[in-house]
Amino acid sequence: MFCKLAARNVRRSFRDYGVYLLTLTFGVGLFYTFNSLDGQSAMVFLGQNGNPIVASIFVMMDVFSVFVSVVLACLILYANNFLLRRRKRELGTYLLLGLSQGQVSLILFLETGIVGIISLVLGLLVGFAASQGLSALTLSMFSIHMAEFELAFSMRALGKTILYFGIIFLIVMLFSGVQVSKAKLIDLMQGERKNEELRQRPLRVAVIQLVLGVVCLAAAYAILLTFGMAIAIAVLPVCVVMLSLGTIGSLLIFKSLSGFVMKFAQGNPRFYFTNLNLFTLRQWLSRVHTTYLSQTVICILLLLSIGITASCIGLNSTIEGNTDEQAPFDITVQNQSGDVELVDFRNLIPQDLLEWQYDALFYYNDPEITGVHEASAAVRVTDYNALLQRQGLAPYTGELPYLQEDYSEALVTGSLGLTWVVVSDETAQRLDIRRQIWCADYAVEPSEAETQILPLVQELQNDVVVRAESRLNLYADLMGSKILVLFLGLYLGFTFLLSAAAVLALQQLSQAADNTGRYHILRRLGAEEKMVARSATQQVALAFLIPLGLALVHSIVGMKAANDIIAEVGKVDTVHSTVVTTLMLLLVYGGYFLATSLTCRRMACKQR
Amino acid sequence: MSNEILTVKNLTKVYGKREAAAKALDGVSLSVQEGEYVGIMGPSGSGKTTLLNCVSTIDSPTSGSIVIDGQELTRMRGKALARFRRERLGFIFQDCNLLDTLTAFENIALALSILRTPPNQVRRRVEETAELLGISDCLHKYPYQMSGGQQQRCAAARAIVTRPALVLADEPTGALDSKSSRMLLDRLAVLNEEMGATILMVTHDAFTASCCRRVVFLRDGQIFLELHRDGVDRKTFFARIIRVVTQLGGEMEDVL
Repeated sequence: MFCKLAARNVRRSFRDYGVYLLTLTFGVGLFYTFNSLDGQSAMVFLGQNGNPIVASIFVMMDVFSVFVSVVLACLILYANNFLLRRRKRELGTYLLLGLSQGQVSLILFLETGIVGIISLVLGLLVGFAASQGLSALTLSMFSIHMAEFELAFSMRALGKTILYFGIIFLIVMLFSGVQVSKAKLIDLMQGERKNEELRQRPLRVAVIQLVLGVVCLAAAYAILLTFGMAIAIAVLPVCVVMLSLGTIGSLLIFKSLSGFVMKFAQGNPRFYFTNLNLFTLRQWLSRVHTTYLSQTVICILLLLSIGITASCIGLNSTIEGNTDEQAPFDITVQNQSGDVELVDFRNLIPQDLLEWQYDALFYYNDPEITGVHEASAAVRVTDYNALLQRQGLAPYTGELPYLQEDYSEALVTGSLGLTWVVVSDETAQRLDIRRQIWCADYAVEPSEAETQILPLVQELQNDVVVRAESRLNLYADLMGSKILVLFLGLYLGFTFLLSAAAVLALQQLSQAADNTGRYHILRRLGAEEKMVARSATQQVALAFLIPLGLALVHSIVGMKAANDIIAEVGKVDTVHSTVVTTLMLLLVYGGYFLATSLTCRRMACKQR
Repeated sequence: MSNEILTVKNLTKVYGKREAAAKALDGVSLSVQEGEYVGIMGPSGSGKTTLLNCVSTIDSPTSGSIVIDGQELTRMRGKALARFRRERLGFIFQDCNLLDTLTAFENIALALSILRTPPNQVRRRVEETAELLGISDCLHKYPYQMSGGQQQRCAAARAIVTRPALVLADEPTGALDSKSSRMLLDRLAVLNEEMGATILMVTHDAFTASCCRRVVFLRDGQIFLELHRDGVDRKTFFARIIRVVTQLGGEMEDVL
């Protein structure tokens, strides 16, 4: 019987549960998507030959998944608590009818369970679809052609999602049970009575608050821009001061804004006494005194979302996907024990795999012989020119010894970690061998060649210290970092955005329910349905746009600081990150806004 | 010489269907002249609130016709109805129905905004009306800061600030103490006599009804009796109303 009651409650209060269910579904979907990377073609490709980059991506995603699940748990608890408050009277009626508190708790327990299971199933479906999209997106980032796109389903992600959300739902279920068992009947029955304090604060107070708020924000911005992003975040005293100033500033602005706007509106009768503007503004004002705190939190969540996504996308496009400059040859093997033993690569490596190979030697630089102090190694001009020639560069014909000072020039694939001087072949003969550098280009498919070559090179480790770096490996490393920042940006960005939008939507929907009485009065006064609906939409718009506005200002300043750092690594690509972030905002925030305003409109226009 | 503001003809309202049908109004006909002050009395379930709801366009009758100021209400729909409501009617309710988030001034001004009154006239008209109803000094207050009487007078001000053809009042004194009631009734009388407002008021209370110039008694959805004040003073009229009420005896004992 309780199951039936619970199921009916869920069905009937679908309007209240709608946003809740939507948020849960998105949350589950998001969680699954970013935990189901293991089956994706791109990951399989990156992981071949045991590249550690894939493991580190998984570890990062695991760590952040814990964080995300905590954020989502808080959001779900908040939403649940919110719904519970709206249903106080209903719960009170159950108690009044003679159900025991345990039984009412059981009903709530079952309701949460039903909603949880529905959202888990829906969310996994959404997540499955989204993870294919993500997989395709990742694949499209690769400039070379590799594995075909195929549908992937991750059992590991499925299990993990069910485990995490199972725990979250259990906590929520226990929480609602405890809430009911603690509540007094009188509080439940009178729960609908609200005592709002409406007080228009003097303009002077609002002005002082606004000025203080702007000063605080300006100070926070100044700290960020003068110290730079790195110091402002890493050095604790600076960070704490900046964040508190920013938070207090936002708080003060949100608190003072309404009073300010009201004063200006009242001084402008043409605006104030037209349509329902007067009513809409008053509605907003009546809430702002109680919601400025949540507005600040939403603003910060939006800032985190926009900031993280934009910087990660920016970083992603900065990391050059093209490895040709760093990897002139398909493979370079460095025998670092060249002074002890040289490896005979020509005999070791099956020659039919190779199109071209060159065995070069690097010597210890003895300034007494070469006459150059600044280099740690020396190379024969013959070897040097052979490597240059293969890269299609002009051979060096100038005077010797020649100190190579252009550190951006990659002579071989991977890093040598040496500075070198080019010497004549005769001079070189008097120097001691330091390293053996073997470079080669494949005659067959790189991945095919490497599955044979790399194990052979690995075997050498028993006798000498060798380091193999291939173009494919470097490419995988780069793509791995690229993908990691992209995933982190999207994962965290979506999580924060979802939280902010869901909190706003819940608040607005509950307010719309409180407002039905007021809309009824407006209608009796002869307001047309269109007018009433417009006012309802405007109220939702005010609630959604004001925190977004301030968050955008914050993020523009934040992005300026972040770009200064990115600029040190590579070129800043603001277009790409702006486009992606805007798309994400439109999709999630816009979607919630649309859904909320449509529901609020419908509730406002509902016939008596 | 006087115009008919309201003409109700053969009004019937049936709630429910077939066996469950209940007739709330059963062929009521009534007419109100311009500048009249009419009270409607009757026991619970006699149909007085249904009548008022039909006249105020909040509910639609099953059959019959309602003409206000020359316009047939039963044929109007949606937008036209809203327009008619805001231009021709003023409402005063028992639970005065002020918007709790607005000050008294704004509550009255909102009615003008909805009517699309030129914004520069709003302040003057609100202040004039407030003075008439004796609430000038609490215009800046929120409803919860005002007494019940002040709230109800504020609602009355909102109802008449748009200069409606017909003011409809549903138990306006129902939630007020006797002093506040008297004050409100006094103001309504002034509105009627000095401003020429036409008022149709539904009430339980014989004292309230005695302020009207004509009282219509409803019983079981039909007009039972009409009393005219005909220039007698209020005490005498009150006594006549009481006589009717007692004459009705047990049937109407909840009138008092």
